Amino acid sequence: MAVFLQSLISGILIGGVYALIGIGLTLIFGVMRVINFAHGDILMVGMYLTYMIFTLLGIDPFVSVLITFPLMFLFGGFLQKVFINRVLDALAQNQILLTIGLGLIMSNTVMLIFTSDYKILSTSYSSATIKVGGGVSVSTPLLISFLITAAITAALYWFLLKTDTGQAIRATAQDRDAAQLMGINVKRMSIIAFGLGSALAGTAGALISPTYYIFPQVGSVFTLKAFVITVLGGMGSVVGATLGGVLIGITESMSAAYISSGWKDVVVFVLFLLVLLFKPSGLMGKSRT
Amino acid sequence: MAILEIKNVSKFFGGLAANSDVSFDVHEGMIMGLIGPNGAGKTTLFNCITGYYPPSKGEVIFNGRKLNGLDPDKVCMLGMVRTWQKVRPLAKLSVVDNVMVGALARTSSLKVAREMAMEQIKVVRMEHRTNFLAGGLPIGERKKLEVARALATQPKILLLDEVMGGLNPAESEEIIQLILDIKQRGLTQMVIEHDMKAIMRISDRIVVLTSGEKLTEGSPQEVVSNPDVISAYLGEPHA
Amino acid sequence: MNKTILKSAFNILLVVGLLLIPRYVESPYALHMMILLFMSVAQGQSWNILGGYAGQHSVGHAAYFGVGAYTTMMLMHSKGVVPWVGVWAGMAAVVVVALIIGSICFRLRGPYFVLASIAVAEIMRLSAINLTPLTNGAEGILATEIPAFKIGATVVTDFVTKVPFYYIGLFLVLLTLAVTYWVQHSKLGYFFQAIREDQDAAHSLGINIALYKNIGLVISAVLTSLAGSFYGIYVGFVDPPTVLGLDVSVQIMLICIIGGMGTIWGPVLGSLILVPLSEALRSNMVTDLLVKIGMVNADSRIGIFLKENLSHAHVLLYGILVVLVILFMPDGLMGFVKKLAARRNREAV
Repeated sequence: MAVFLQSLISGILIGGVYALIGIGLTLIFGVMRVINFAHGDILMVGMYLTYMIFTLLGIDPFVSVLITFPLMFLFGGFLQKVFINRVLDALAQNQILLTIGLGLIMSNTVMLIFTSDYKILSTSYSSATIKVGGGVSVSTPLLISFLITAAITAALYWFLLKTDTGQAIRATAQDRDAAQLMGINVKRMSIIAFGLGSALAGTAGALISPTYYIFPQVGSVFTLKAFVITVLGGMGSVVGATLGGVLIGITESMSAAYISSGWKDVVVFVLFLLVLLFKPSGLMGKSRT
Repeated sequence: MAILEIKNVSKFFGGLAANSDVSFDVHEGMIMGLIGPNGAGKTTLFNCITGYYPPSKGEVIFNGRKLNGLDPDKVCMLGMVRTWQKVRPLAKLSVVDNVMVGALARTSSLKVAREMAMEQIKVVRMEHRTNFLAGGLPIGERKKLEVARALATQPKILLLDEVMGGLNPAESEEIIQLILDIKQRGLTQMVIEHDMKAIMRISDRIVVLTSGEKLTEGSPQEVVSNPDVISAYLGEPHA
Repeated sequence: MNKTILKSAFNILLVVGLLLIPRYVESPYALHMMILLFMSVAQGQSWNILGGYAGQHSVGHAAYFGVGAYTTMMLMHSKGVVPWVGVWAGMAAVVVVALIIGSICFRLRGPYFVLASIAVAEIMRLSAINLTPLTNGAEGILATEIPAFKIGATVVTDFVTKVPFYYIGLFLVLLTLAVTYWVQHSKLGYFFQAIREDQDAAHSLGINIALYKNIGLVISAVLTSLAGSFYGIYVGFVDPPTVLGLDVSVQIMLICIIGGMGTIWGPVLGSLILVPLSEALRSNMVTDLLVKIGMVNADSRIGIFLKENLSHAHVLLYGILVVLVILFMPDGLMGFVKKLAARRNREAV
């Protein structure tokens, strides 16, 4: 029972971060219909940014989120304006390839600068835990990152539901042409969406940096996870991505506990294929007749 | 003899009925016109008949065989082929290659397929375009290409979805002549069309759909003089 | 008529020339480069059949490359099965994998297919890491002793020099080219291209979409598996990232994207560009050149930095190339050249 509870709690905690990654990807897909294959690499950039801020300025990773978020927003906006914007009307495969290319450039530029050595960002609390009782304990950095995630997600929901810009973004996601006719600056919304998506991925990178190895190729794992999460939740659905993230977190930690940690990603991918096979519109999505 | 029987066909999307309880027969060698205001469910009916989605209820019987649930390719192999309202040329292939794809449903030899294709290209009078890329053709010729490609599959019945849509009067006239030519060769046709004058000229019988239901069926004269049809059209005026 | 005769004459000369190269070129390095080139053309051409002609852009071809390589290597290493028998086992394994993938992935369209193809390749990679008793896990399989190839009692080759590999590589290239040519000039090619251009239209014209996609996948996968087996035997080593990683899938696809998809010469052109470029970076040729022309001092910080790092940067070059090609010549080099030629023709008229 303790094992089960322990895995459930760790799963939910890491699932919060996954949700952030998934929401970022789904937001970009929703507004632009572009699947961002560089998503994990953007997260990786966020990790290195946090690492640099930590080693050069000594700012704690959970605090430096305040710097990482806006910087990654600008980075994402730049990517959209210079690259993605040019292929919005191109074939899906060309968009995919472009983002794959951008991802390769990011990971390999980082590799040139930092080499491919694994870096560890160790804080005083990196391996600290809080005992909950019943043999269950919670990793302190995971708990903090979960709380920050929850706060960001709540702020994002507020932004999307209550602000004019948020509503314009949702309108664009629903129907790009109609939004344009209604006088919404669709191009600007795309830049904001890509910026936000990147900021969320970068923040997720910042939040996991105290507990993960940092290396240039770390992104691809997260890109794949982000896809699984978004497809699970239904492409373009923010609520779906939130739930999908938590679901994947739990699936992973459960299969790590009950099967083996080596197979946990396989379980996730098999789950992904099953969803694609039986319910391609996602677990939360409406099915087509 | 009825070559195609539509029996109580309904199609629901979610809770909405795009077609409800539509029934009619298409007899061999005739041209059946299918008209109705926008959103009446004409294209949905085509999709149900040709296997793009199975009807929610009812039966489609072609040459005595029930088609429900059969994929479009099987339907084509049985001898029923359709064209698309929004034309779908294979853009990066030449005109003759496009038509050959259709012909290859009936032969595995490229040589035979090419001869069959050239024959249909002649039928639609596009010999001068044989080696042009389909993607670069003007709309009128793309519509004709679509017909040639469908004919190349050697169908028993041809379903045309607004082949005159977006064409100028001269081009429409050409298509009308083409449809009549095809009829001369004994092929059964079902035609969706917005242009009332054209449909009255070519159809032997007409089915009128409104809001997914069959309003009436009859000869062109019967249909134009039916007050329900007039009010259905006046009720929703269109360009 | 004259043109076709000229063309075939050129092709025959090319093949004869390629056959004769090992007689006159002894440098193992030059032969090595040619072998890499052959491998790349074979990989690209295999992908091209499914991706270029049938329009199904698989980003998971590492699955077939890796399964082919692993099967052959595992059989040789643990059971002593000679590679020219193991290759068949590799192809059989790949057909099974491909049909499973096909039945799942081809119910999906566009981006979903791409995602599913990646997921399957990742499952293969993770399985190779985890199935240690079979695959030796993350350490990979090292097997450099290849038994001599005998017919009866005569030794045809003992695989000591690079020459036998050169001929096997050349054979692979000719095989993939021949298969592509055959596909292009048969019903298959027409159906593949119809599916690529418009799936619904193809469906209405009597084409069994799922069947033909699966045929394309199996042809493509079997040829990729051959290239994988050849890679394993030639290098003598396979491990999960080098034959099953996402990079491998991207690299395979890249050959066609840069050269031009859906054309017979596209993958050849793509390989002629990619292989020398990445080799130049890998072997530090670029740094040496920069030092030689005096742009960079070999002992300066930049010089040392470049020497240490530039050799790992060939993937960066892939990234830059992909971005440039997608933005400026989305139909690849072949498409670009054709467009230029068409423009010139128009001007001439």
